[in-house]
Amino acid sequence: MIKEGVQPLDSLRLVANYAAQAPCYICAADNTYDAELCRQCFAPMALAHQAASQKIRPRLLATIGASGAGKTVYLGMLMDMLSRQPDRLQMLARGAFSITLQQSTASALSRGEFPSKTPSEPDRWNWVHCQIRATSLKSPLDLVMPDLAGEALLEEVDHPYTYDVIHPLLSKCAGVLILIDAVKLQSGSLDQDYFTMKLLSYLAEIDERPRHGWARRPIGFVLTKADECEECFIDPAAFAEARAPGFWRQCRERFRNYRFFASGVAGGCAYRQSRAGLVRVPLRVEPRGIVEPFEWLVQQVKH
Amino acid sequence: MNHTGQKTMAANDRRHWAYWVAGAAGMVLASAWWMNWWGIVASGCGLLTWLALGCRGRPAVPPSTVAEPVDLSDDEPREPDAGDVESLVDGMLRQDRYALLLRRQVVGNLSPEQFAQARDVLEEQMALVPEGQVTLSRSASERMDRDDAAEEQRFVQPLFLDRYPVTNAQYQRFVKAGGYQQMPLWDPQIWPAVLDFVDASGNPGPRFWKHGKFAKGEANHPVVGVSWYEAAAYARWVGKRLPSEAEWVKAGSWPVPLSEEQQWQRKFPWGDTMDRQRCNLWGSGPGHAVAVTEFAAGVSVGGVYQLIGNVWEWTSGTFGVVTADGDELSLPVPMKSIRGGAFDTYFENQATCQFESGENPLARKHNIGFRCALGMCDVAPHPGAPDEPALAEAEGVLA
Repeated sequence: MIKEGVQPLDSLRLVANYAAQAPCYICAADNTYDAELCRQCFAPMALAHQAASQKIRPRLLATIGASGAGKTVYLGMLMDMLSRQPDRLQMLARGAFSITLQQSTASALSRGEFPSKTPSEPDRWNWVHCQIRATSLKSPLDLVMPDLAGEALLEEVDHPYTYDVIHPLLSKCAGVLILIDAVKLQSGSLDQDYFTMKLLSYLAEIDERPRHGWARRPIGFVLTKADECEECFIDPAAFAEARAPGFWRQCRERFRNYRFFASGVAGGCAYRQSRAGLVRVPLRVEPRGIVEPFEWLVQQVKH
Repeated sequence: MNHTGQKTMAANDRRHWAYWVAGAAGMVLASAWWMNWWGIVASGCGLLTWLALGCRGRPAVPPSTVAEPVDLSDDEPREPDAGDVESLVDGMLRQDRYALLLRRQVVGNLSPEQFAQARDVLEEQMALVPEGQVTLSRSASERMDRDDAAEEQRFVQPLFLDRYPVTNAQYQRFVKAGGYQQMPLWDPQIWPAVLDFVDASGNPGPRFWKHGKFAKGEANHPVVGVSWYEAAAYARWVGKRLPSEAEWVKAGSWPVPLSEEQQWQRKFPWGDTMDRQRCNLWGSGPGHAVAVTEFAAGVSVGGVYQLIGNVWEWTSGTFGVVTADGDELSLPVPMKSIRGGAFDTYFENQATCQFESGENPLARKHNIGFRCALGMCDVAPHPGAPDEPALAEAEGVLA
């Protein structure tokens, strides 16, 4: 015999939450409300929750470049500098996860080491969600910036849609900083030139709209490790034109809003023997040209 | 290349050779320095010959940071008159070359008043660092404040150390006196490179100067954009030398012996806690090098200013840090030791008395300057009484 009755559901709210799917802020894939990372692209779901709860749509900015160009060091150092000395720009992290990148970068540099290579797996990338305040901004600007792995970018550029996160991210980005290893350019290596050409070509084809496509979105080219080739600081654009004519020409013909910068973090470098061979280590940390590219990009995307 | 171009190049080559020969000839005569004052006359002749030849050095690519120069020609002391001892002494004092006057071999030529004057300038411009033991860290572990850092004990003889880093105004006296043309001041192995030590306009001088002059308003700023060799040459010109690493650390950390084996050393010249109001580092405010008299609160116990911050300082030591595992770092080029941190040094653990970094001795960077040292043994106690060893040494020199 079956006795009829009403069984109270203790977890009604849980069920309701599970029924309502939360879209990922990057790829818009549906996720359960308690998912930490998007099941499709592995972007942190905290971005979506923060956007929903605070009723703001953060702008996306990306820092891209070849493996070893210095993306992690640049982004981590930038975050640390802006949070420690709020002169021109002030950065406030939104969420504890946004501080991990600057913590790991500053910690490694103060030990006399560069931070470890960013792994290729997107679920291990660091993301930064922050609020930028500046006298030049009428209202605070919310930004989301991931620390992408160079190998993943290379794989995605060569084989589009290999990584579910990169294409939607770069499609939605308001602007990018493309990092180029100035020391390799100076040494005559053309790898940086070719890879940057690939990146530019990839960007141009992601969104070809004449008014809102990448042709008009801001692109900052940052020549990194310029402390080891000081002529970079004198005229970064001339340096790039002389040593990377391929991407220089492509840039001039396909893009309208771009600028060249030079930056350096280490005042000098040496090499330490490790199991993996010689590892480059900074002899001292003297950031130079770190804030300027980001400041320019923020000015370009603020509207 | 056309015929005119070839002729111009040949003329330039002749000029360069003439300049080298004139400078070298002047300096050969200057070797008689210890005997009499003909060295001054000879140096002046070499300089005048060089100027008459119109040799202005090689042009260089101007750095973007070069500011408009300031002309201090009316304020600067003229080359001392060798015929008049009083004028010569006055001139050398104005050029900050009092250390030469106080040499045991020279001091006998001074009147008691002149000696007192030179001694007063010495005490005003240099601080006494007493003799004693100092602990040097030779390990990169020190950067991490770990306890397993490899340490080395050194004994430091008493010395005088410049209270302030060498300023643009002081360095300009060296440039104006033809320091870049006086080859005995330079290490012989670097002679081929001296022609390359030019400013933004191609004249001999620090990298960021223009037309042999520093930027307006920076007379009292530390001179930067000078290589280790330029720093060493200046030090020789004023009768001093670059401090060793141990001397530099001792002046800053001011060790206090607690027992025969142990001593207490300060992490910073003012104590053990970083205070960015006492030194010019990243985050201290200015964001650029400031006058050497600023940040007076960071003065050391002995009265030395800006040992930490503002600009790194070349020392005479060779850089060779070992890792925590005891392995030496592999350097892309042999480096000289720099100490103290600069206005753009980011981490406070890289701006301690113990922290050491390295730089290519030919590098002419925007944040590396120097100060000079003088061994107490190189300073005569008073004019009338040079001691026996010094007399014997002087006789050897004269012979």
